Amino acid sequence: MNDDAVVKVALVSCGSEYAGVHGELESVAGSVNARLVYPEIDVSILDTIGKEFGIEAASPDLRLMMARAKAVVEGITDVDGVFITSCFRCAEAAIVRNEIRRYIHKYSDIPVISYSFTERTTAATLMTRMEALTTIARRRHLLAREHQSGLTAGIDSGSTTTKAVIMKDDRILGSGWVPTIKVIESATEAFELALKEAGVDREDIQALGTTGYGRFLVGEHFKAQLIQEEITVNSKGAVYLADKQKGSATVIDIGGMDNKAISVEDGIPGMFTMGGICAGASGRFLDMTAKRLGVDITELGSLAVKGMQEKVEMNSYCIVFGIQSLVNSLAKGSTPEDVAAAACHSVVEQIFEQQLQEVDVKEPLILVGGSSLIEGVPKALSELLKIKVLVPPNSHLIGAVGSALLASGYVEE
Amino acid sequence: MVKVIIYPTNSLILSDLVERFGHTPLAMMEKIKEKISTVGVDSPPLNITPEEPKMGLKYAAVEVPAGVRGRMAIVGPMIDEAEAGIIVNESPMAFGCMGCARTNELTKFLIRDRDIPVLEVDYPEDEDEAREFVYKIAEFLGSLSKDEKEGQE
Amino acid sequence: MPQNDDDIITKLVVISSDSVLPIDAAMKVYESETSIVIKETCFGTMVTGPREAVNRVVEELVDLDRNHIFVKERGFPPGDERRCRASRGGGPRPGFHYLREEVRTLPMIGRALDDYDKKVPLKEVAHKKKLDVKKLAEIIESA
Repeated sequence: MNDDAVVKVALVSCGSEYAGVHGELESVAGSVNARLVYPEIDVSILDTIGKEFGIEAASPDLRLMMARAKAVVEGITDVDGVFITSCFRCAEAAIVRNEIRRYIHKYSDIPVISYSFTERTTAATLMTRMEALTTIARRRHLLAREHQSGLTAGIDSGSTTTKAVIMKDDRILGSGWVPTIKVIESATEAFELALKEAGVDREDIQALGTTGYGRFLVGEHFKAQLIQEEITVNSKGAVYLADKQKGSATVIDIGGMDNKAISVEDGIPGMFTMGGICAGASGRFLDMTAKRLGVDITELGSLAVKGMQEKVEMNSYCIVFGIQSLVNSLAKGSTPEDVAAAACHSVVEQIFEQQLQEVDVKEPLILVGGSSLIEGVPKALSELLKIKVLVPPNSHLIGAVGSALLASGYVEE
Repeated sequence: MVKVIIYPTNSLILSDLVERFGHTPLAMMEKIKEKISTVGVDSPPLNITPEEPKMGLKYAAVEVPAGVRGRMAIVGPMIDEAEAGIIVNESPMAFGCMGCARTNELTKFLIRDRDIPVLEVDYPEDEDEAREFVYKIAEFLGSLSKDEKEGQE
Repeated sequence: MPQNDDDIITKLVVISSDSVLPIDAAMKVYESETSIVIKETCFGTMVTGPREAVNRVVEELVDLDRNHIFVKERGFPPGDERRCRASRGGGPRPGFHYLREEVRTLPMIGRALDDYDKKVPLKEVAHKKKLDVKKLAEIIESA
């Protein structure tokens, strides 16, 4: 499939037409040159699909979802991706949505996203997800790349920090890492830092890739060859840095504002979720904790690994009330070590409860993003999931490295 | 002529029977028509916008899913307007407007909760049941006309 | 856009008759009215036009076989892009499946209407109840 082809996305949904979000779904699909299709089904299957699939859902539209998922898996409807969506807060739909997601993932290699909407869901919220879905369909050849070649650069313009790297033949020559203040200025600064460390000029760069919130702006400014959302870039970057490009892997990226949990197969994302509802599950929570403890964010991790989270009572994940709990604990005599550990545990536990339910966690579990450098975070995640958590070298540069890697696909031989 | 809310709200049979026996069916189809022919609103396919789930707050609290509240924004006013109701239970798989079991529970509750004559029948599975189904509905609709006449006297 | 746009309606006529065919119905409509459009769709005959004309024509149609022709108003005009399966990429609109179920029941409803007209007395229909737990216990014990 070439870059201009229309990507067919099967819409497997319940409630979207009545929640006022259907137009948003159509609009986001259109903006990434995708078309929503409704899998054709044999109507008689609706009588039996509940038992056949295994969930006798009371809501007929949920049965319709199961029948449509079956049509996709059996190839009756030929699609490039599947968007599974239902109302937020509907327990019945959540059960069906999750099982359909697993079912499609198990019986096909069609990429799937799953999302629960409210009437406030807009096309902008869905943009990154839909972009990733179409990229996986459209640019499989690009995602198959396992080595970085030539002299390339990657810029990850994140919501909190901007990262840049210069790479040559699988080696990182230089990197820059600055807080995001103004998108272009911060990107320029990070890029210059990386170029300086690498000892190369901007003109020598053969290809540039951008990702993150500011990817379009930065990409346009620097005339990037590749402008790509962070789901495909980060999953590619994670398996590359961790040297786990073949087989299954799970990538968790705890960012400054939102998190991604991605099931990866041979370096290509299959299922993913993005959470951005609560700041308590983001790097920001850890940042606030560090400030409260009067330590630098880089010191929080080493404190946390020495502490015991069980000793601190936290009654909320919230960035306001949770932090208040931590402060109260300090006042009652808890040690900074225990408080740091509790903060790491709180962030990880919320990610576990709200996001990891949406992907199947398969080893190796690769943790990336700035928060992965806070040692307490991988430790807490490992304790919670009872599996080893892999933090690859340069995990905080994940988006920039992934971009530089994928951009090398544009280097002319 | 009495306005009769039917459940399932998109039923061909019920809509037909109500009209056949001289009353006005309050059915989903007409409401959908109003929605989709609203000039200047472009929210395909039903022209339900994020405003509907908010209007639905009159019938269901904010923790109720948006899809339920969006449907209630349409069904709720129909129930408010009704002077009588017919509920068919154990109906075969219904979809679309009737595709959400939670909405359907709430719809039935709100119909029963109104102080209006309500007939409840089961969906027929054989000839005998079909006869019982039709007779009951016909008698019920007939009694509405009588009530109306008595009311006018 | 014409002012009386609101008065354009679509009615769906489903014929479940041994004596009237959809084509007869179509001919009937064309004989009597010029202001309306009819369309055979995958789920019945749709009659679209000004409300009064549609009602008049539908009334005439139903009179062809009163108890075996069923009518309901429809929200979308025939072939509406937002609903027609030809333009919405595959599967039929959701309401279609329910309509299919109802159409299967129409012959029984039609015969019941005939009986009602003829005042055929209602047979007592025995409704199955769940087995009493005590009965079940007895069966288990006797097995």
